[in-house]
Amino acid sequence: MILLNSVSVTFENKVALSGVSVQLPQQRIGVIGLNGSGKSTFARLLNGLVKPTSGTVAVNAINLSIDARAARAQVGFIFSNPDLQIIMPTVAEDVAFSLRGKGLSAAELDSQVAEALERFGLTELANEAAHSLSSGQKQMLALCAVTIAQPALIVADEPTALLDAANSAQVQNFLLNEWQGQVVLVTHDLGLVETCDVLLRFEAGKLAEVGEPATVIANYKKSFA
Amino acid sequence: MITVYKAGNSWLHGIPAGRKLLALTLLLLAISIWGRGAIALGAGAVLCQLAFLAAGFGIAGFARQIWAMRWLLLVMLVPGLIFLPWQTAITNTARLVECVLLASVFSFTTKTADLLKTIERAATPLRRVGVNPASIGLVLTMTISSIPLILKFAGNVREAQMARGVQPNIVRTTVPLLVASLKHSDDFAEALMARGVEV
Ligand SMILES: Nc1ncnc2c1ncn2[C@@H]1O[C@H](COP(=O)(O)OP(=O)(O)OP(=O)(O)O)[C@@H](O)[C@H]1O
Ligand SMILES: [Mg+2]
Repeated sequence: MILLNSVSVTFENKVALSGVSVQLPQQRIGVIGLNGSGKSTFARLLNGLVKPTSGTVAVNAINLSIDARAARAQVGFIFSNPDLQIIMPTVAEDVAFSLRGKGLSAAELDSQVAEALERFGLTELANEAAHSLSSGQKQMLALCAVTIAQPALIVADEPTALLDAANSAQVQNFLLNEWQGQVVLVTHDLGLVETCDVLLRFEAGKLAEVGEPATVIANYKKSFA
Repeated sequence: MITVYKAGNSWLHGIPAGRKLLALTLLLLAISIWGRGAIALGAGAVLCQLAFLAAGFGIAGFARQIWAMRWLLLVMLVPGLIFLPWQTAITNTARLVECVLLASVFSFTTKTADLLKTIERAATPLRRVGVNPASIGLVLTMTISSIPLILKFAGNVREAQMARGVQPNIVRTTVPLLVASLKHSDDFAEALMARGVEV
């Protein structure tokens, strides 16, 4: 459950979001809106990368202003540029990095990593340099590294922006069909979010609409036609 | 030339990272101090070859690594031959090549996670002066893993310049490269935070 209570975010003196209140129990949440409308700011609020200037943000009853670390452990984040999400040199090591500090034995760690790699079709690439992968493979690696930590919520900010149609479909399929936890998917690709349970539309820093995807998409198109 | 761990069961793979790192440091020191003259450098070359054999990469792996270093060889050797006595040029190049070869055997046979742990352990005394050993290890690892990314930025910068009819050179490449790397460092910091590292 995601809960925002009259949240505003101001950068220096630029208002990025203002007066956003919303309660989201749905599993698959899509977010659309024009460039600069506040989508990324909303997404970043959900794992504490951005702090609200006023108001409160809570994910599964954990208040992000009070315990950002605990909240962050529950929220996985996928960025557009998979290059910047790679921390360790090889694919398997990068996935294993997500499990550090969990007190697993080497054998448990290896078996969990192997299982996760298998699930994302990365087994063959386990010992490759992570940066040598294609963009699509890197984004699958990012998903793999995020899901192995078993977050309750995945927030993806335009995860398919740099991908071709086939890889976009693969990422979409994972996030909206396979992933059983909650997901927030920010995108400019309206086809990607048609099947979401609910759609949020941002307009000039305000949450303009929350509702059925078909209705929200239609109103979005009207808003700039 | 960028090297990452290659899985294997060789004798060298089995040695703990800390001991290997110590041995590498001593060998590199020895080569820099005593690596002069045909005999010493010849011994170094034999040592490198043995290291590749002990790591299970064989003669072929050794040859591949030398081939991967061909540009480094050229860059070192050609100006040296022009500006220095030829003996000095060859000695300098041979020394560097031997050091790089040994270092690459080390990175081929050592998992980054093991290296990370070793560095963290070695840096533990720094805790007293307020430095977090975990962050030292992480910074070093990220430096290693982001070299290919920086090379990619460099490639992008050069291509963009050529597309606009500018002939790239070191200065023209370095400045935009720095800007691109700095710009990305913020995003890197965010990605680290998102993955649970407090920066
Ligand atoms: N770190 C920042 N510093 C200053 N201003 C910012 C910062 N981040 C966002 N903004 C501003 O806040 C507003 C909302 O930005 P945001 O990134 O949330 O939009 P967006 O909907 O994600 O846009 P896009 O579709 O282009 O990604 C924009 O006007 C932007 O310029
Ligand atoms: Mg955005």
